[in-house]
Amino acid sequence: MKNWNPMLLSMMQPIMAILFGLTAGAIVVSFTGESVMECFKELWRGAFGSFYFLSSTMARATPIILSGLGIAFAFRAGFFNMGAEGQMVLGGLAAALTALHVPGPGWVKLVAALCAGIAAGGMWSVLAVWMEVKFKVNLLISTLLLNYIAVLFAGYIVSGPFKDTSGSAGLAQTAMIDQGSWLPKLYNGMSVHAGFSIAIGLTVLFVLMFRYSIVGYEVKMLGLNPSFAMYGGVNRLQMMIFSMVASGGLAGLAGGVEVLGMQYRFVDGALTMPGYAWTALMAALLANAHPAGTAVCSFLLAALQTGAAGMERNTNVPVELSAVIQAVLILFVSVKFGYSFMRRRKARKNNGSII
Amino acid sequence: MDQLFDISLLNSTIRMVTPILLAALGGALCARAGLFNVGLEGMVLAGAFGAVLGNYLLNNLFLAVMFAIGCVLLLSLLYGYFTIHLKANVIVVGIAVNFLAMGLTTFLLSAVFHVKGAYYNKDMEGLPRLDIPVLSKVPVLGDVVSGYSPIVFCAFLLVIVLHLFLYRTVTGFRLSAVGQSPIVAQSAGIKVRRYQYAAVLACGMLCGLAGAQLSLGQVTMFAEGMTSGRGFIALVAMMLGQANPAGIMGSSLLFGLMDALSIRMQGLWLPTPFTMMVPYVVTIMAMFFFKDKSYLHGTTGSSR
Repeated sequence: MKNWNPMLLSMMQPIMAILFGLTAGAIVVSFTGESVMECFKELWRGAFGSFYFLSSTMARATPIILSGLGIAFAFRAGFFNMGAEGQMVLGGLAAALTALHVPGPGWVKLVAALCAGIAAGGMWSVLAVWMEVKFKVNLLISTLLLNYIAVLFAGYIVSGPFKDTSGSAGLAQTAMIDQGSWLPKLYNGMSVHAGFSIAIGLTVLFVLMFRYSIVGYEVKMLGLNPSFAMYGGVNRLQMMIFSMVASGGLAGLAGGVEVLGMQYRFVDGALTMPGYAWTALMAALLANAHPAGTAVCSFLLAALQTGAAGMERNTNVPVELSAVIQAVLILFVSVKFGYSFMRRRKARKNNGSII
Repeated sequence: MDQLFDISLLNSTIRMVTPILLAALGGALCARAGLFNVGLEGMVLAGAFGAVLGNYLLNNLFLAVMFAIGCVLLLSLLYGYFTIHLKANVIVVGIAVNFLAMGLTTFLLSAVFHVKGAYYNKDMEGLPRLDIPVLSKVPVLGDVVSGYSPIVFCAFLLVIVLHLFLYRTVTGFRLSAVGQSPIVAQSAGIKVRRYQYAAVLACGMLCGLAGAQLSLGQVTMFAEGMTSGRGFIALVAMMLGQANPAGIMGSSLLFGLMDALSIRMQGLWLPTPFTMMVPYVVTIMAMFFFKDKSYLHGTTGSSR
């Protein structure tokens, strides 16, 4: 029974935030002169209206869940990884290039490509960690700025050296990956693919890890109270590198899964335009970095986006409504963050430990 | 090299630097009051959209700029309410403000102008270029110091004003005291919240000006996410300048020069994506030299 109260409380916060977000959405809709009820009905229908819509919501949620787990992982350890977008793009690029150029049967290519995605994302986030540790470059800002560099770099790679020259269209993209190394679809004719199972599997893994394993406990301690964690013998540097590599690796995996399961090639802007990484960040914030909560929130936000796309098809309300609702959600969830932040600041003041 | 460095490069540097400088000055006021404002990006974006929308609705450039400032003031009021009143984490609220600005501007772009991506209207008038009567006649100097929109002059004037304000007035010292130790400031009888709100609102005003310069002073259009990281670069400029107006001007000029250079270098030996990376790379490199975080008071970005 003792566990009930905090759990209920942690559920209450997101629910309140969702209510506030939907209210804000209703206000914005009423400004455009459309019927609010009609819009929300279309929103629901676009996300869950039929099995086809549900499956595309699941497909959209896949990269969001994966990178959301990554961001949540870093949050848990007390670090802001704002660089998921760059890590995801580089992961996707590495996966596409690996699948195209590694010899061997399809499944070897597939596994190699996924590993390459994880490695690329992880290495990109380690760069930020290295700068923070060695030169005290603020992690929040360095990861953010590295996004722009990664996206521009990937754009260069697919519009220059590895551009697909077979097609007539002048799109900046790599060649199509062989069908043998695609991630299989879960249902015929539906867009949801095996990446969704990977995402769910990893969610369960992380829940178990944070609950039962020593590493999970150490990461959590580091995030909640760094000085206590260090007093208890946690190697902060090691944990920082570990959690940021995991964080970047998951974002890279998200990019790889999206490329191998949905688009079958790396297209410039296909990972950044839908804003997967930013939605993932919001999901992690909404769920206060709890792995299962992050997965649920990722799914809900993905549903909000696919629903908004459906709503745009059937009403005059533009799809960006979902972005407004999401931002309001975060704003209202941030209040809760204040409490844990204050706790930490107090702890810091008492013993003078920095970061 | 001759193609890269000439008078017009200085010219475009000064034009490019203005949004960064204004936003960084705003960020500095917030930092002085103890709020690390990550929402600069969103505030500038809202200002850029507000200026275009105001111009479209009111058909008057002065009113358009005022409209932009008004829009950003609303946003910064929201930021202030959440960070000061509700004591939410400044970084999370800043991120939320960025998202809100991004979402609202794209939403309104399609709701008001019925376009996606960018709004451009050939009849739309940009900010006028002002010539300084005497100086503009001087051969080289005249080209460098005149021919900009009023906001550009305003920005450089504000550097001096803010410097005087922060280091020569009691209010300025009190503002710094608020940031350094809210509790001590409070016990000395300073109304901490009032100072913080004032700083956030002033920051909003500056960001509104920055946005107006971005959308009406430089290109006369609005594009989705047209700030493209300038708010964050301004944040770095603020940190690099140690929240000190003169220092901020120096670091902003560096970033403005890089911005201008990156455009200039297109079509030279480097492929375009690499030239576009230059401002971001230089920003990161600049952070290598930034060690003193003392005025951030525990709101380091790497931890919650």
